[in-house]
Amino acid sequence: MNEHLDQMPSGFFRLSKDYFILSTNKTLLNILSYNQAELVGKFVHTIFSNSSSAFFQLHFYPLITEKNRVEELYIELKSKSGKIIPVLLYANSLHNGEMLCNVVPITKRNQYIDQLLEAKKIAEKRLTEKNELNAQLKLTLKRLEEKQEELLKVNLENHQYKKETKKELELAKKIQETTLTKAFDNHHLQIDSHYKASSELSGDIYGFYQINEYQYGIILLDVMGHGISSALITMSLETLFQRLITKGVATDLVIQELDNHLHSYFDNNEEAWHYCTAIYLFVDTENQTIEYINAGHPPALYVETSGQLKELQSSTPPLGSFKGIEFRTTKFTYTQGARILLYTDGVSEPLEHGHLSDILKAYTADSLKTLKDKLMESLEREGEEYYKNDDQCFILMDLK
Amino acid sequence: MAKSVLTRNNVTVKGEGEQPIIFASGFGFDQTVWSSVSNSFEQDFQIIQYDYVGFGDSDIAAYDQAKYSTLSGYVSDLLEIFDELKINNAIFVGHSIGSMIGILASTKRPELFSKLVLIGPSPYFLNEPPTYYGGFDKDDLDHLIDMMEKNYLEWVSNIAPTITNDPNRLDVTMDIEDRFYANNPTITRQFAEVIFFGDNRPFLPKVTVPSLIIQCSNDVFVPDSVAEYMKVNLPNATITYSNSIGHCPHLSHPEKTVKLIKEYINEQTKVPIEQVGMEHE
Repeated sequence: MNEHLDQMPSGFFRLSKDYFILSTNKTLLNILSYNQAELVGKFVHTIFSNSSSAFFQLHFYPLITEKNRVEELYIELKSKSGKIIPVLLYANSLHNGEMLCNVVPITKRNQYIDQLLEAKKIAEKRLTEKNELNAQLKLTLKRLEEKQEELLKVNLENHQYKKETKKELELAKKIQETTLTKAFDNHHLQIDSHYKASSELSGDIYGFYQINEYQYGIILLDVMGHGISSALITMSLETLFQRLITKGVATDLVIQELDNHLHSYFDNNEEAWHYCTAIYLFVDTENQTIEYINAGHPPALYVETSGQLKELQSSTPPLGSFKGIEFRTTKFTYTQGARILLYTDGVSEPLEHGHLSDILKAYTADSLKTLKDKLMESLEREGEEYYKNDDQCFILMDLK
Repeated sequence: MAKSVLTRNNVTVKGEGEQPIIFASGFGFDQTVWSSVSNSFEQDFQIIQYDYVGFGDSDIAAYDQAKYSTLSGYVSDLLEIFDELKINNAIFVGHSIGSMIGILASTKRPELFSKLVLIGPSPYFLNEPPTYYGGFDKDDLDHLIDMMEKNYLEWVSNIAPTITNDPNRLDVTMDIEDRFYANNPTITRQFAEVIFFGDNRPFLPKVTVPSLIIQCSNDVFVPDSVAEYMKVNLPNATITYSNSIGHCPHLSHPEKTVKLIKEYINEQTKVPIEQVGMEHE
């Protein structure tokens, strides 16, 4: 039996209950390069490295106490020369407290285990890195969501602001429209007009006034651009020309004052600079004369009952453009029943060239109302889309 | 909060007596390691046992890597258990790192402790020649931790079933094993690093609670030089040498361990605490 024990391929040793080596087989002695006498009677820790000793006590002692057996314990033996031999240890305890231990060297397998553990450590490190990245990502996502929420809030505020602004603009438009003079019809003159703002507010403005029994002033202006800034300027100009015209101020002075007014506005503020085209007609029904100045404005059309047409051309640059311009009036005598059309480029540009005069000539016999409807219908039907975004305004006048 | 402290550390309270006695296990063990010792105290004491987070039947979800990266996380858990149970003047019995946790806790809140029983305590495992000999070089400890890792599955399959050695609870065995497999290697490794590389020597002179050191023979974790160091640096300490071999006398020789603890407790009630004695068995 002992012979077989010695011939066993695994190492064997028997321990007392106090962990002293009682006997060994030859295989163990070969593995550790000890002889029998050197080990028997020695404390078991003799055949362990320092860390193995600690581990053996931490692990083996409680297990054998609790379970009476230990299986598949990985531990490292230390040979006489100090060589480390990794082994798997199996043990059980007997009734008298003695312990029988088997050790199987696993040098080659241990290399695999080491590699596996190394790979596991790397994988764990990667996992930690991944988790950190994930945490960062989550943080970024959270920040993004916060930003998004802020954005939604701002958007809502913006929407609210837009809604309020639109309401304000509509109100402003109403105010602008109330300043416009109303159509009138007496035994000297019949005047009617059409006014349509492109966006909420218009850069066009007009006015017609009876100065005294025989004299009338009719003015049409187009401030460059449209929208709030242009509309503000029209309001300012309106206050001025209304005052000047109704006082009967001379034609050239009316235009001169408006020009001065614009220059004084933008003298020190190039950024806000606006110019404006204007045409002013001073009608004297007693003498049947018309005095006018056209400052950069599209020509007004004058047509007689005979169909004879005359264009009241521009003779000077627009108001507010160049300083020191001398505005000269042009004067002519009109015939009874003649008709005049004043308009802004928002009306002429959408239509083909010459179309306005054609309509005017074609409808000389018809009433002013009919002509107005016809013009509006043309603008609606034939006007090119592109131009419909401009302010549209025209004035029709019958000289009786 | 109240419930979470007690479930977090799987705190169990038993016994007929009023004097509280609390048991703190060593590395890798849960409270069941005390069963053969604590049973002998049931008649006269209120027995409190608990598990460290990540071990035994604790709430593994409460494991916080940062909190438990030093011993202070374990110390604050212990103090919270005291507060939760509203106990003070307790006898504390700690094994190995458990005894260090008790020492640290007693320096923070001495009023909670009446006596410390320290089984195989070591304040520092590393050698710092020529003044301190802790028993290990850094390489030894690194290697020891590696060896634990290599034996991890074996450790789990043998130790885990002892946790639920109550046959009525066989149903939960699998669950606990699953949890061990899933979570514990990292926790075990971190705890091992906290224990093996932490230096708790500076705390020893601050201890005011009287203590008993039980030093076993051939305890590789606590060389005689460490026991000597403890005796010199721990105020009001009594040391007793047990002929139990190894690091876990409460497992291998429970009756003897019970006897030593009881003798000390009874001795202490008779003799003023100033006496620092030495007792060879």
